[in-house]
Amino acid sequence: VSRVATAFRLGVREYRRTPVLVALLAVLPAYAVGVFGYVVPDDTVAFTVGGEAVQAGLPAVVSLLLTPMTAGLFAGIAGLFLMGSATDADARLVVAGYRPHEVVLARLGLLAAVSVLVSLVATGVAALTAVPEHPAWFLLATVLTALVYAAVGVLLALLVSRLAGVYVVMFGSLVDGFLLQNPLATDAPAVAALGPSHHPVALAMEAAFGSSVSLAPLAWSLVVLAVVAAAAVAAFYRATGA
Amino acid sequence: VSAFATGTRLRLVELGRQPTTLALLVALPIVVVETYGVAMASFPQLPSLGVDPATAGRLSGALFATAFLSGVVGLFQVISAREGDDRLVLCGYPRWTLLATRLVTTVAVAGVAAAVSLGAVWWRLDVAAPVLAFGVLWLAGLLYGLLGVAVGTVLPRELEGSLVLVFVADLDNALSSGLFDATADLATWVPMYHPHALLEAAVVDGTLATGHLEAAAVVAAVLFAAVLAVTRLAGGDGA
Repeated sequence: VSRVATAFRLGVREYRRTPVLVALLAVLPAYAVGVFGYVVPDDTVAFTVGGEAVQAGLPAVVSLLLTPMTAGLFAGIAGLFLMGSATDADARLVVAGYRPHEVVLARLGLLAAVSVLVSLVATGVAALTAVPEHPAWFLLATVLTALVYAAVGVLLALLVSRLAGVYVVMFGSLVDGFLLQNPLATDAPAVAALGPSHHPVALAMEAAFGSSVSLAPLAWSLVVLAVVAAAAVAAFYRATGA
Repeated sequence: VSAFATGTRLRLVELGRQPTTLALLVALPIVVVETYGVAMASFPQLPSLGVDPATAGRLSGALFATAFLSGVVGLFQVISAREGDDRLVLCGYPRWTLLATRLVTTVAVAGVAAAVSLGAVWWRLDVAAPVLAFGVLWLAGLLYGLLGVAVGTVLPRELEGSLVLVFVADLDNALSSGLFDATADLATWVPMYHPHALLEAAVVDGTLATGHLEAAAVVAAVLFAAVLAVTRLAGGDGA
């Protein structure tokens, strides 16, 4: 445990030593979620979440929809770069005596911390426009979206070049989180169910606008997270030569 | 001229040697255009959209596939080549020539991405003025190429640069798509606002929206000036 903690601490220190990155962690989610709350017209829209017909202001819908997407986008890019840049060093750690699972745990811990932080910032900014009906569930759904995309970012870092990875994370999160999972879409295409954020965003929308939160999207979100994380860990083991 | 030609050839050869980038140039615009079209088709006919949602989706997808690809290539060209470029400058290679080679490469990438994106749009829609539509897509690629070079010159690492570019593009994409009838003037200031209007006019009506063209040219000039300014600030003295 102490070696995992040491590797985790060093990862956090590396992050902290890049003030631009820390500033971006605070500014970018605020910019993305906050600007939309400001520019979207104050119309009322009707839609369905979890089988329940609801009405809400468009700024609230857009801000609360963008919150998990923004967290996912940031965490995906972080997963892509943090893991990509650490692979060589981590392989050396394994050669030096670290057990592979210790290295993996430290890296995943760092990504989880980034995911939680960016989710807190994004949810906090969204709350300036609209407070979800069930804030704790909404935050949980946002963190789950971020974790899923962080794992997708790790996978991409190990499978494709960074340029390709940035492109895929950018368009993937936007199309998936903003277009395919948008509750305003009346007849979502079948492919929407295959999006990584399908279940976490469904949970987020229920938590934001529903009178209650069902456990099915939470359970499915955890299943998706487990599958993507397992694939990322397997790819990471392979990349570090463990 | 010889230094410029050599530098440009070097960058294009370097780009051509990356199979992932080449595959991205060809495959991703098609995927993005189609996915946007399918995703937007499920939206109701919003009053803010000048065309049906599926067409609006395909036009947005084509613009952003072209623009963001050019932006990312511009960004990575600057950041990943920084050390090598600094050494070239120390050896006497003019910094402004290096900048020109980057811009020419970005323009070339934008041209290829624009052609592929237009093909993907044309496959599904009747394009009223194909040459004009190609020109608009190329212009969009140029705008983001300049933005990518500027961001890459200012920010030190790929992670930070990518985050900034991705978030700018993300917001730009959503605001300029016309999905929301944004009430604030802010929406008209995003880089893709005018190219979006130009592309819609070229594809649907076959006309050139001159007012938007002038505004887009101003945005391009501002971004070009920004690239020159940040390059000078980053150490370029014309040596």
